[in-house]
Amino acid sequence: MKLEEKRSMIEKIVKRYPEKESAILPALYFVQSQDNNMLSEQDVKDVAQMLGVSESKTFGVATYYTMFNEKPVGKYHLQVDTNIPATLVGAEEIVAYLEKKLDIKVGETTPEGLFTLSTVEGLGSGGTSPTVQVNATYYERMTIEKVDKLIASLKSGEMPPKDVNYNYGTECGILFKNRDKVDSTSIKTYKSNGGYAALKKARDMKPEAVLAEVKDAGLRGRGGAGFPTGLKWSFLSKEDARPIYLICNADEGEPGTFKDREVMEHDPHLLIEGIAISAYAIGSEKAFIYIRGEFAWIANILETAIEEAVADHQIADLDIVVHRGAGSYICGEETALIESLEGKRGYPRLKPPFPANVGLYGCPTIVNNVETLACVPFIIENGATEFKKIGTENNYGPRLFSVSGHVNKPGVYEYPMGTPLKNILSAAGGVNGNLKAVIVGGLSNPVMRASEIEDLRLDFDSCINAGTMLGSAGIIVMNDAVSIPKIALRTAKFYANESCGECVPCREGTYSMVYYLDKLVSGNGTKEDLNALSYLCKNIRGLTLCPGGDAAVMPIEAMLNKFQKEFEALANHKLSQNKEGASYEYHD
Amino acid sequence: MNITIKDRELEVKEGQTVLQAARENGIYIPSLCYHDRTGPAGKCRVCVVEVEGMAGLHTSCSLEVSEGMKVITDSEKVLEAQKLVVNLLLSTGKHDCLSCEQNGICELQDVAYYLGIETPAFHMADVKPEIDDSSEFVYLDHSKCILCGRCIAGCNGTVVNEVLDFGYRGHEAKVICDNDVPMGHSSCVQCGECVQLCPTGAIIDKLRRGKGRPWETHKVQTTCGYCGVGCQIDLHIKDNEVIDITGKEGVGPNFGSLCVKGRYGYHFLNDPARLKTPLIRTNGSFREASWDEALDLVAKNLNRIKQESGPDAIGVFSSARITNEENYLMQKFARATIGTNNVDHCARL
Ligand SMILES: Cc1cc2nc3c(=O)[nH]c(=O)nc-3n(C[C@H](O)[C@H](O)[C@H](O)COP(=O)(O)O)c2cc1C
Ligand code: SF4
Ligand code: SF4
Ligand code: SF4
Ligand code: SF4
Ligand code: FES
Repeated sequence: MKLEEKRSMIEKIVKRYPEKESAILPALYFVQSQDNNMLSEQDVKDVAQMLGVSESKTFGVATYYTMFNEKPVGKYHLQVDTNIPATLVGAEEIVAYLEKKLDIKVGETTPEGLFTLSTVEGLGSGGTSPTVQVNATYYERMTIEKVDKLIASLKSGEMPPKDVNYNYGTECGILFKNRDKVDSTSIKTYKSNGGYAALKKARDMKPEAVLAEVKDAGLRGRGGAGFPTGLKWSFLSKEDARPIYLICNADEGEPGTFKDREVMEHDPHLLIEGIAISAYAIGSEKAFIYIRGEFAWIANILETAIEEAVADHQIADLDIVVHRGAGSYICGEETALIESLEGKRGYPRLKPPFPANVGLYGCPTIVNNVETLACVPFIIENGATEFKKIGTENNYGPRLFSVSGHVNKPGVYEYPMGTPLKNILSAAGGVNGNLKAVIVGGLSNPVMRASEIEDLRLDFDSCINAGTMLGSAGIIVMNDAVSIPKIALRTAKFYANESCGECVPCREGTYSMVYYLDKLVSGNGTKEDLNALSYLCKNIRGLTLCPGGDAAVMPIEAMLNKFQKEFEALANHKLSQNKEGASYEYHD
Repeated sequence: MNITIKDRELEVKEGQTVLQAARENGIYIPSLCYHDRTGPAGKCRVCVVEVEGMAGLHTSCSLEVSEGMKVITDSEKVLEAQKLVVNLLLSTGKHDCLSCEQNGICELQDVAYYLGIETPAFHMADVKPEIDDSSEFVYLDHSKCILCGRCIAGCNGTVVNEVLDFGYRGHEAKVICDNDVPMGHSSCVQCGECVQLCPTGAIIDKLRRGKGRPWETHKVQTTCGYCGVGCQIDLHIKDNEVIDITGKEGVGPNFGSLCVKGRYGYHFLNDPARLKTPLIRTNGSFREASWDEALDLVAKNLNRIKQESGPDAIGVFSSARITNEENYLMQKFARATIGTNNVDHCARL
C-alpha cells in the first residue's frame, strides 16, 4: 500500500477521536497489518509523522504493548496462552508438543517462514484453555490431536473453523437471558426478548432519577473493587462545562476471568443498552469501549451491533467508539486505561485527581466494567427493589462466575451474589481430583486452602471476612497434583511480564520475586531466599503507584504463608550448604 | 497554614506539597523522581511518609499540605519502605560508586546514606554497564538509570526537543532516544537538559569525565557570554580550570536550562589560541597591543574614513553575543556619533 493510501486511512481513524494522538494504537495496528504483521522502523516513523507525535513516543508506545511485533513473524503466528488457568489444563504440554512438531523453540520462526511460536500471558480464555491464538484467531479447548489438525490445515493454507462450544449456566437468566438464542447478537433477537425497552423507559425519566435508581439498587462494580456504581456516578460535578466521558472497561485482563467476553460475544446489545442508559444518567454523549486487543473478533461483533443500534435509532444522541488495547494487563487499571486511550503507554496516573474529576482528555470520566453496565438495563426495567431481591445484603444482583482449572466443566456461570462457592463448583461439573486450593477473585487475590472454603459465600463482604477478595469473580481451581511453588513462580512471572515499570517497588520487586522463586523451584534456593520473598511481599504491599503491585504480592504472600511447608521443603534441600551461598541479607 | 513534620511545627503555604514544605524548612525527606521543574511523578516511591489519621503510606511529593496535618517521616514502616526501594534500585542497577562522576552529588547515594545502606540487600544477577558513548557531549550508562523520568520530562516538557521517552516495559523499560538509536545518531541537539535533571550518574556531561570529583571543585555563578538572553550558569572550577558548566537552578531567565553552546562550548576558555589582548596588524602580521592603543587606532581610522569618504563609508555590525542594551548603544553610536544608518546584526542572517 502506498504511503498516501495509508495516510488517508489513518486520517479516517483519527476522526473517531476527540484528539489525534488517541489514534496511535489503531494506526500502529493498521500499518502492521500492511507489513506482514510486523512493525518496521519505517512504519513507526510514518505513524509518528502522520499523527504529529515524536518518534520516541511512538516507539515507546509500540514497545510497551505486546501485540506489536518489532521483529518479523511467520505467516502464522502461534501464540499459546500459558497463564495459570491454561497451565493447569496442559498448556505447557501443548507448547512442548509444538516445539517438537515444528522443530523450533518458543520465540523462533520455522525456516520457510510459515510458523512463529510464542507464549503469551492470559488471553481471557481461561475457561476454554488451552488456547492457541493463530494471528488474530483463537483456537480454544485445544488438545494434542486438535493441534495436529490445526497445523495440518494451516500447512495447506487454510484457517480451520473454531470450536465455540463454551460451557455456561445460569440461575438468574439476567445477563445470560439471550445466551441460548440463535442469532443472539442481532438487534432483532435482542428486541424480540424485550431489549431496548429499558432504554426507552430511562429516557422517559430524568437523568437524576436513573442515577438514583442505580444507586438504590446498590449495584457494586464487577471490575474488581466492588465500588458502588451509583455513588461513583454521583461524584461527577453538576456544574461543569467540560464534556463527560463514559468508558466501558472491557479489558478482561485478570487471569482466570473470561466473563465479559460472554456478554459481548453473545449479547452485545445488552451491553450497548447498558452503556446508553448509563451515559444518559451521567450526561455523557461520547462513550468508549476499551476492549483487550486480542478480542479482535469481539470488537467486530460490538461494532456491528453499534451500527445496528444506530440504524434503529436507539442511540441517536450517543457516539460509542470501540477501542482495542494492544496487549497489556495494567491497561485494565482505569487510569492506565485512560492513558492508553489517549494514545500513550499504559502508565497509571497518580491519584488524586480521580477520573470523575480529571479523566480522559482532562475531562470528567466514569469507568465501569462490562458486567456492571450490563446490569443496568435490568435495574431500570424492573426497579431497584427487584434487583435487591437477588443476592445478599449489600451484595445485590447476579454475578458472572468464571470457573477455570481443575473442574469438569470450566465455563461461566451466572448465579446470585453470595452463592456458596461449593454450589458454583458443582455447577461447573465438580472438582476434577482432590481440591487443594482455590482463588476466587482472579489471580490477584489471596489463595484459599480447601479447608477454608467449606462455607465460603461468594460476595464481596463474605470474601473479605474470609481473608480473600471476590475481585472479578474469576475462580481458579487447583487439585492436589499442583505444586504451589510452581504456581507462585508462574504468578510472579505474570506480574513481572505485565508490570508497567513505572514505579520501583513493582518493577524491580516483581523481577526479584521471579529471581528468588525461580531459584527455589529449580532446587537451588535457600532459607534466605524464602526470607527475601516474604520481605519483598511484606514491603511492596501498599507502596506502589497503582494497585498492580498489591495485585502481584497478595497471591504470592498467601501462597507462601498457607503452603509454607512446600516452600520450606524446597529450601531445605539446600540447608546443608554453607552461608556463602546466601543471596540475601535482610538485617537493617 | 500550620502543619507538623517530624515533630516540628511549621507554617506552610496552601497548595504546597509535604515534600516542598519539608525542603523549605530544611527537613530531609528522600526523593528521587521529584524535581522542582518536572513536578511530582510518583515513580520512585522513596518519598513516602505517614500522616496521623490517614491509613497507609503517602508520597510526600504529591501529598498536599492541610491544616493541622501531622507528618511522620521516620517510623519503622516508612524507613522499611524506603530501604526496600533503595535496595531494589541498588541490586538491579550497576551502582559501584567509586569512579562514578555523580559520586558525592548523587541523589540515590544520598538516600542510601540517610538509610545507612552499605551494600544492597539483594544479590541477584550481575548487571553489566550499558554505555552509550555515541554523543559528543552527553554520556549515558543505562545501568545506573533508575527510570525516574526526569530527563524525559525535561526533554519533552521544558526544552521540547522530544528526543527522549520510555521504551519497552517492566524491568526491561529504558530511556530511549527516538526509536531507540544511540543518542549520537538521534535528533538530540545536546542541550544537556537531561544531564542537568538526572539524579544519578546515568546521564552525565562527557567533557568532565575524569576531570575531578565534585568536592574538588568550587562553583562560580556567572552569566553565559554567548548571547543576550543572559542565562545564569555555574562554572565548576578545579585548579583554576573550568571542568564543567551547569545551569543555575531556581533563577531566571533560564532556571537551569541551557543550550549546547552555553553548557558545552567552554573549551575556548583554556585554549592556548584564545585571544587575551587586542591584536594590531602591521605589515601583514599581528602583534599584541594594549586596549588603549587599539581603541586609539580604531578611533583615529574611523575619523579619517569619515572625513575622507563621508559617514556612509562606514558600516556597523554588532553581535548576538552582547546584550540588547549593548546592541542599542552600538546603533546609537553609529547614528549619533558616526552619522550613518549602516547598521546590521549577525542574528539577521
Ligand atoms: C491491575 C489492575 C487491572 C485491572 N483490570 C481490569 C479489567 O481487566 N477489567 C475491569 O473491568 N476492571 C479492571 N480493573 C479495575 C478498574 O481499575 C476499575 O476499577 C473498574 O473498571 C471500574 O469498574 P467497576 O466499578 O464497574 O468495577 C483493574 C484494576 C487493576 C488495579
Ligand atoms: S504498581 Fe506496577 S503496574 Fe502499577 S504503576 Fe507501579 S509498576 Fe506500574
Ligand atoms: S549513580 Fe549514584 S549510586 Fe549509582 S554509582 Fe553513581 S554515585 Fe553511585
Ligand atoms: S541533550 Fe537536550 S535534546 Fe538531547 S536528549 Fe538531552 S534534553 Fe533532549
Ligand atoms: S537517565 Fe537519569 S533522569 Fe533519566 S530516567 Fe534515568 S535516572 Fe532518571
Ligand atoms: S519523589 Fe515522590 S515518588 Fe519519587
